[in-house]
Amino acid sequence: MRPLARLIVVGVSAFTLAACATTNVRSFVERGIDVGQYRTYSWGPAGEQATGDPRLDNNEFFQERIQAAVERHLNARGFEKTTTEASDLFIHYHASVQQLVNPDGVDQPYATCEGCEPYVYDAGTILIDLVDARTHRLVWRGWAEGSIDGVVDDQAWMEKRVDDTVARIMERLPRGMGRAS
Amino acid sequence: MSRLSQFTIAAIGTLAITGCATMNVSSHVQRGLDISRYHTYDWGPADALPAGDPRLEQDPFFQDHLRGEVEKAMTLHGFEWSAAGERPDLLMHYHANISERLDVDRLDVQRGYCGENGCDVPTRQYEAGTLVIDVIDARTNRLLWRGWAQGAVKGMLANQDTMARQINEAVARMFEEFPKPL
Repeated sequence: MRPLARLIVVGVSAFTLAACATTNVRSFVERGIDVGQYRTYSWGPAGEQATGDPRLDNNEFFQERIQAAVERHLNARGFEKTTTEASDLFIHYHASVQQLVNPDGVDQPYATCEGCEPYVYDAGTILIDLVDARTHRLVWRGWAEGSIDGVVDDQAWMEKRVDDTVARIMERLPRGMGRAS
Repeated sequence: MSRLSQFTIAAIGTLAITGCATMNVSSHVQRGLDISRYHTYDWGPADALPAGDPRLEQDPFFQDHLRGEVEKAMTLHGFEWSAAGERPDLLMHYHANISERLDVDRLDVQRGYCGENGCDVPTRQYEAGTLVIDVIDARTNRLLWRGWAQGAVKGMLANQDTMARQINEAVARMFEEFPKPL
């Protein structure tokens, strides 16, 4: 593809992403660790924490969707899922929901509030931890936060949103992590 | 039916739904579930986490009325209560949660400038109740279906008639979403 055409394609897809995805994705990696040393993983003991949304607490459909998505990305990176004893990494995830207020500008100094419409929305967070199985130190943490208004009530939408969000989190795994990277 | 009248009906239907829907109902289901494999049910032990609201879950009227409504709905869907001593095909759980929710009032008054600190967003707290019903495969212990209803609990805790009406509506609407035999 010619550079210009490629630039346009990138520009257009960035625009579409920005338009529909208000999900913020972040990650950090422990400094000074050789991330290339890890080959195998298993799920760490599930901390049964409340999500803040009773529809999602102990919701196997939701939990299994997240786990399947994470495993898909780890496997694509060349990681191998093993027993707890044989794994280099323990994977944990945590999901939470809280209501947030979007002030829509009214909290700004000298806001002129014609047409301001502050609103409340459900903000959902998915957080994924990779922990060194030997030292129990956090190696990498990735998380995403965004509005999930209406998402949980629509199973197909929730599944797609989980898949997309986990994909965007796992994209941020550092280079050199996993056999296939 | 002509296009226009179809449209009108759809519009009225939407209006009617939004007009009375102070209760939000939905569900999740195991993909590919064949519910016709299951015939009997029983109530399972209460789920461990997180604690439901004691104002509901320790209220004998709430419990009895809810269980009665769910049992009626299960009968309507063709399920039988498992005989004593026999393992049921399905286990049912319910969970009743009350949490503080926020709402933002409209900013009708704030037409002027907000000053150097901006305006406060006028928020209002209210108590929202969520009733969750889980249907579990008794053999594999896996979740097959989860239905829920959410709405403001105002007035419901103090008045049994209101509570009964809310439970009836919640259970009836949840079970409209219950999986049909394939």
